[in-house]
Amino acid sequence: MTTTTFENEPKLLPGDLAIWFFIFMELLVFAIFFIIYSIKRIQNVELFNEYQLTLNSEIGALNTIVLITSSYFVIRAVHAIKLDDVKACIKWHYFAIGGGFVFLILKSTEYYSKFSQGINLDTNDFYFFYLSLTMFHSLHVILGMIILFAVIFKAKRGTYSAKNHVGIESGASYWHMVDLVWIILFPLVYIIR
Amino acid sequence: MLLLTVSTYAVGKLGYGGTTAVLLLLLTAVIKGIFIIRDFMELKGVSLLWRIIMYGWLWTVCIVIAVSYIVTV
Repeated sequence: MTTTTFENEPKLLPGDLAIWFFIFMELLVFAIFFIIYSIKRIQNVELFNEYQLTLNSEIGALNTIVLITSSYFVIRAVHAIKLDDVKACIKWHYFAIGGGFVFLILKSTEYYSKFSQGINLDTNDFYFFYLSLTMFHSLHVILGMIILFAVIFKAKRGTYSAKNHVGIESGASYWHMVDLVWIILFPLVYIIR
Repeated sequence: MLLLTVSTYAVGKLGYGGTTAVLLLLLTAVIKGIFIIRDFMELKGVSLLWRIIMYGWLWTVCIVIAVSYIVTV
């Protein structure tokens, strides 16, 4: 019996379909959040412009670089498992999680600076969106790190190989989603005026 | 990707605003988003439906943001 392969057949989504539905839902929520921010800004441009200048864009830019680098580590991890190199796959996942920790530490310094000035969600509309958007994103960073830890745990137990690494691709896809959201969030909240 | 990030930061630091700056910054975000979707997420070559959803999200969000900023300039 022969099987026919079609060269132009689209390739499958990397990872589990369930994680992609989760990713789509998260992207939808963030899209709504971004749009509401933009609309709220229309109602009070001067306030948003004024308080945007109080944000630490250096840390924002640094965090963008951290997340992009961390995503690169995840790419290396996926590449490693496709070569059946489980050790390297685990190693790159640890590096990626390290990037997540760096992101959260930098974010914490930002929040500490703001909270110590008495700024909170009730201060004004800009700070409400800045704090809630970035905190919501940070929660996703934490969840992403938990997912990557779970992947490491399963990889150490020998679950993954070159022939079976759907879980690794799922974790990677989620982590890239976190990066993708920040790519929009950083210029939107910190830079564009 | 890193260069685009630095350029975004530089635009902000130099205090550029207005329509041109807004469009430039969002275009930069779109380019970075395309890299992430196509190369990081490895969606190059997947079924058209998934690519429409992902790129559609990216373009929709950025266009809506662009319009909301331009109307206030």
